[in-house]
Amino acid sequence: MSTIAIAARGLSRSYGTSNALKGLDLTVDQGEVFGLLGHNGAGKTTTVMLLTTLLEPTAGTATVAGFDVRSDPRSVRTKIGYLPENVRLYDNMTMLENLKFFGRLSGVVGLDTRISETLEFLEFTGHENKRLSTFSKGMRQRVGIAQAILHRPSVLFLDEPTSGLDPQGVKTLRETIVRMNTDLGMTIFMNTHLLSEVTKTCTSIGVLRNGELVYQAPLADTLATFPGEDSLEQVYLTIGSETH
Amino acid sequence: MGTLITVIRYEILTAMRDRLPRTLMIVFLGMIAASSIIGWLTNQTVTAVYNQVLADGLTTAANPFSGVSPLRYMSNTVIYMILIGALLASVAGVQASLRDRKMNTADLILSRPVSTVGFLAGKLLGQGTWLAGVLLVSAVTNWISISVITGSVLDPTGGAKILLFYGIGWVFLMGFVSLGMVSGLRSTTEATALLIPILIWAVLVFVVPQLGTAAHPVSLLNPVAAPPSQGGFFQLMNNFLGPLAVGEHFKTASSFLLDTGQTASIASLSFAVIVIFALVAAAVLLATPRNTVRSALHE
Repeated sequence: MSTIAIAARGLSRSYGTSNALKGLDLTVDQGEVFGLLGHNGAGKTTTVMLLTTLLEPTAGTATVAGFDVRSDPRSVRTKIGYLPENVRLYDNMTMLENLKFFGRLSGVVGLDTRISETLEFLEFTGHENKRLSTFSKGMRQRVGIAQAILHRPSVLFLDEPTSGLDPQGVKTLRETIVRMNTDLGMTIFMNTHLLSEVTKTCTSIGVLRNGELVYQAPLADTLATFPGEDSLEQVYLTIGSETH
Repeated sequence: MGTLITVIRYEILTAMRDRLPRTLMIVFLGMIAASSIIGWLTNQTVTAVYNQVLADGLTTAANPFSGVSPLRYMSNTVIYMILIGALLASVAGVQASLRDRKMNTADLILSRPVSTVGFLAGKLLGQGTWLAGVLLVSAVTNWISISVITGSVLDPTGGAKILLFYGIGWVFLMGFVSLGMVSGLRSTTEATALLIPILIWAVLVFVVPQLGTAAHPVSLLNPVAAPPSQGGFFQLMNNFLGPLAVGEHFKTASSFLLDTGQTASIASLSFAVIVIFALVAAAVLLATPRNTVRSALHE
């Protein structure tokens, strides 16, 4: 049984003449919370889209949960959960209707029970029959998390998950990410440019710069290598900004 | 199959809640209900004039409405299908596509084991089911109002012809649903997405028939198809563009079904054109690339 959740080899993606991702080599072990750091436009979202099979690579390959994103994308999709940045879900449907829709698309068996369990896990019960048009950004984000984990994926992709949330929302989401990792056993791959998120939730990090992975290491090793309160910020700024 | 049914059910639910298509649907049903009344009032007015002329000894001809099929009372429905129905279908199609682009939900759906074709087919069939429900209500409205106006229950043959009329009407409107969905997927803004299918509709319903018949635009609002021009530029254009005049073909097919003039041989060509129009539009929709389905609006 492989212990590797995500493995990318020479993964590349171009948009016309622009190379968004250049030969990414990356390994994420099962059970990790991996934080992919980088400036805006560094290639973070492109990486997630390639790994979630939403985009096809122009070169290289990757496996997610043991399945190849190029040759077996359908199997990859059965094993992953995904929450894009700024997702709004369906405003004119209730939370329950939204969750039932996405749960059915994922083929969840015993859907009603699973929805109840998921909402209890997220401590978000009592809003099931309210339309999403009445929800705050933070509440929508929790529904977004719920739809992403309904089918209990082995790998969960989160793209800038705390974007636009208030401090309380950020704190709650951080705690949720850690619990999804420890209690549900999910490997989590998270895009962010917030260092505070990384230090409080991730077990390992990578830094993308202009489409290239310029750093990857466990968080503990990084903190040991660069000791000091602001060390990670300094590492990130040094590595991420060299040619920015 | 499970995915298809899920998407169909969801599409029906959201179509019923979308304000713009719902408003157009109410207008459409109102016009359908009114069409039989208008047909009946026309009959009453003409008959009253005829009786006066007959009493004055100015004519010995039979009442022009005697012996006419009761289905003639719904002849205005034909033009409402081409005008309001096609607009309703286009707007419903546009909204169906725009919804996922506005809410950024296409990525959530396509990151699951759902094929692009399955997703789009489910949306199209969901819209089609909703539209079929609207047309079924329209058919029942026509059947009841004709029965009330004539004072006797419309016979099963008449009822079957109404159903066939709405059946080919559904196929005709599904072409516009597909066009609307394609526009909703490929346009960069919501305004463009709504304008493009309306432009195509105007070309198919008004411009193309004019080029083939030299008909005055107002005459194209008549539920009877305009005859093609004989000779010269307009006949040449009719040979090339005639098959694209789907509105005129719908009038011809309807005229046959509602006993208002066309023969089966002429109508069969029109039936074929309508079916081909719907199939081509659906094929264009289902061929939409995955990345286009996922694309964001530039607003």
